[in-house]
Amino acid sequence: MRAVLRDVGLLWLSFRLGALDALQYRADFFVQLVQSSVGLVTALAGVAVVFGQTDRLAGWSQDELFALIGVFTLVGGLIGMVIRPSMERLMEGVRLGTLDFALTKPADAQVLVSIQRVDVWRTVDVVLGAGLLLIAISRLGQHIGPAQAIAFGLVLVAGVVIIYSFLLILATLAFWLVRLENILVIFGSMYEAGRWPVGIYPPWLRATLTFIVPVAFAITIPVESLVGRLEPTTLVGTLLLAAGFLVGSRLIWKLGLRHYTGASA
Amino acid sequence: MTSHDEPVIAVRGLRKTYQVPEREGGLRAATGSLFRRRTREVIAVAGIDLTVASGEIVGFLGPNGAGKTTTLKVLSGLLHPTSGEVRVMGYVPWERPSAFLRRMTLIMGQRNQLSWDIPVIDSFELNRAIFQVPRDEYRTRLSELVELLDLGDLIRKPIRNLSLGERMKCEFAGSLLHRPEVLFLDEPTIGLDVTMQRRIRGFIERYNERTGATTLLTSHYMADVEALCRRVIVIHHGRLLYDGDLSGLVSRFSPYKTIVLDLEPAEDSIEGLVHELVGNERWIVSVGQERVTLRVPRSETTGVTTRLLTALSVIDLVVEEPAIDEVIDLVFATTAESGELAEASTDDPS
Repeated sequence: MRAVLRDVGLLWLSFRLGALDALQYRADFFVQLVQSSVGLVTALAGVAVVFGQTDRLAGWSQDELFALIGVFTLVGGLIGMVIRPSMERLMEGVRLGTLDFALTKPADAQVLVSIQRVDVWRTVDVVLGAGLLLIAISRLGQHIGPAQAIAFGLVLVAGVVIIYSFLLILATLAFWLVRLENILVIFGSMYEAGRWPVGIYPPWLRATLTFIVPVAFAITIPVESLVGRLEPTTLVGTLLLAAGFLVGSRLIWKLGLRHYTGASA
Repeated sequence: MTSHDEPVIAVRGLRKTYQVPEREGGLRAATGSLFRRRTREVIAVAGIDLTVASGEIVGFLGPNGAGKTTTLKVLSGLLHPTSGEVRVMGYVPWERPSAFLRRMTLIMGQRNQLSWDIPVIDSFELNRAIFQVPRDEYRTRLSELVELLDLGDLIRKPIRNLSLGERMKCEFAGSLLHRPEVLFLDEPTIGLDVTMQRRIRGFIERYNERTGATTLLTSHYMADVEALCRRVIVIHHGRLLYDGDLSGLVSRFSPYKTIVLDLEPAEDSIEGLVHELVGNERWIVSVGQERVTLRVPRSETTGVTTRLLTALSVIDLVVEEPAIDEVIDLVFATTAESGELAEASTDDPS
């Protein structure tokens, strides 16, 4: 427990340092604000166009899709804020040998590398996503009971854990392959597909987004649990999968460290 | 705390080999290696033994690729050795127990750990949190380090605005905030100008005096080693060539001394006379009318000097040990050719 509190403390400190860094470049804030707003408006407009023609899309109502876009933006913000920049720096550290410094510190190296860089302006996405989600929830109002809310919270956390573990595994591959920055770019474009429920995609793409690049677990499945459409077995399965991913990525990380020999011998 | 008679660093039979991908040049070979990788085993450290006592500053010498950095990385827990036994303050470094990491530090002259874009002091704050240094202790240590390193206002600036030397000083401060008892310094003065090198050197010395920290340092600059280390360890091709004090290194690997005589101008050529007195053509470096330079085996120095002093009208006489750089060059050149010294010295780890 103390270790967890300490890690949270380190995350907060890392966030503050990221903020200090970011505040030097205020223009970035406005760029991010514009970029995020345009992204959000485009997504909402897309939904509006679709629902001009129909009032159900693969079983989803318009407000449910708004909730989905809210979660998509929120989770995307979390990934872009901490996970992805930290993983990019991890891969760079393997290539340049600066990972050595994380390994000579008396804290869990996985925690240190996972929070080593924070892109503070991406909180814009987190805030916009959360805002949209709240609006959608208030419109869905009567359909959401406490059970759904709890399930939603659990599955959302599980989904973020799955994505984090997945990206950690990808980044850990750098221990063996050294140069593979592009792998995160590929993930980024796969993530974009998550702005629609995976159910609308053809089976092969649906399977890809669920089992190969597990975007579905972080977006579609949490929203399904929110609107009470999630089977209890899927809920339990998602939680188990998250635990499995966390343990698995930890093992691969340990294996990678064993393999790591630094950039210069 | 480690007791005084127990070594802080104890290494026995340390070996480290790397598997290195091998391929011929050219596109065809490169494409081929996509599918079938051939590897070759490279021996970085070929079995070394050493112990370091508490509070010692030991210089680690060797040409590039000798195995210095590999050894340092094993000692600081970054590499698993292929075989051998290593204890640092009683810990097995590569298990990286938190208690061990809290008590040591690794500073690399070629790499920075402080964040590029944020003020130095904020990076220090992160290290404070990671090492869980209590705030009041942190403040005392920080002001002490700021004073010792003459940092002043530098710590309020981001790293990117600092010169290479200033950056290195900040690296030192950041890496010592948790007051480590063992310091591993890998080329700490590399690329710095002479003044800054001297400052860093002075700092290492004062830090060692003040805290009694055991220090292992590698450097390409002999001046660092001469100023700081009474004891040096020379490795080459992954083997220990020498372990002992610096002056011993000179007498061991350079069996010659240089004798320079300034003479009163003579009417006749003295060349024939000098040849006769010295008794060996090969010991003569140069003979002029007013100066004679000789390179004579250690054991013959006294005899030759006496003979010359009695026969010639000498104004001044200097007998010199060769410069330490020359000795080191000589050691590596000799061993590269024959490997004999390596064999000889492994039998006799003084």
